Amino acid sequence: MAEQDVFEKVVEIIKPYSKDKEALASVALETSFLKDLKINSARLVDVVLAFEDTFDIEVADEDADAVETVGDAVRLIQSKLA
Amino acid sequence: MAAQVAAPPFNSSEAGVRHRRALDVQCTVGRLTAPVCVPIATLIMRFGFRWRIRDVATSRALYERLLAEDPRPLLIAANHLTMTDSALIGWALGSTWSHVVNYRGLPWNVPEQSRVESSWVWRVLAYLMKCAPVSRGGERQQIARVLDGLRHLMRRGEAVLMFPEGGRSRSGRIDRQSVAHGVGRLIKELGDCRVLCVYLRGDQQHNWSHVPAVADTFSVATRLVEPRTDLRGMRASRDLASQLLDHLVEMEQAYLEGR
Repeated sequence: MAEQDVFEKVVEIIKPYSKDKEALASVALETSFLKDLKINSARLVDVVLAFEDTFDIEVADEDADAVETVGDAVRLIQSKLA
Repeated sequence: MAAQVAAPPFNSSEAGVRHRRALDVQCTVGRLTAPVCVPIATLIMRFGFRWRIRDVATSRALYERLLAEDPRPLLIAANHLTMTDSALIGWALGSTWSHVVNYRGLPWNVPEQSRVESSWVWRVLAYLMKCAPVSRGGERQQIARVLDGLRHLMRRGEAVLMFPEGGRSRSGRIDRQSVAHGVGRLIKELGDCRVLCVYLRGDQQHNWSHVPAVADTFSVATRLVEPRTDLRGMRASRDLASQLLDHLVEMEQAYLEGR
């Protein structure tokens, strides 16, 4: 799946979880889940589980530890789909 | 059927090794200062706050047996109403003497990092009283490092106390929706972890607070469980933490019905 397609799906998934609507409006690959979108680690678990459901992948805790930005999430998902 | 989950290797990075060594040093320092620190903490609870715990001999006998008879890692999972829960639970599970002599039985606890760092007094107390602070809701890598350290401690025979709700319950009852993922992840990564669920509540505790009321009397209930899951990945961690909450909810219900 192309990076842009994954990115767009990721953004749709994270929308309900982000408390910072301004950051969400300007979301990019470099956008940090914690610092920009204010999605803490507890909510990030829900987000990653939503990635699993949407993309039909399995994400280990160790893989999720490396997900700090939207770009990290996109790359992780693409690696699981490959 | 329970899935056999392979434990991941300890964080072999230099930072991971340093962190585990630092915990070993902290444990040693704590052990040396325990003959002073533990009695002081007990005196404050017993005579300062005038707290009492009912039938404490039963919970202590069970805990002593769990430590002595089975070398597998032991996690204590409890309900969370006040900032002094860790101290009270430690007191409920062991006498001053037993914690000084069998120091590994005094459970490590995992307080909020920002609270520990709020003053040098808290930092010193946290260091001496077996605290491994974590930034709740913070970066996953920091949390993973703390969990790696806890795993190391538990493999060394140290007990660890965690709250499956994450933070103090704001309703005064176990919050089934507030699942601390890290607790489940720790159980999953250990693979053979026993969990002693502890429900502790004071007669005057109707809701959460900073500290319990002076002269309160506490009831303590315990239940030994070995949570297992057939799920994988992060769902497994969540499932394991949820199972602990289910047990605590049952214990809370039994407490409330018996009151």
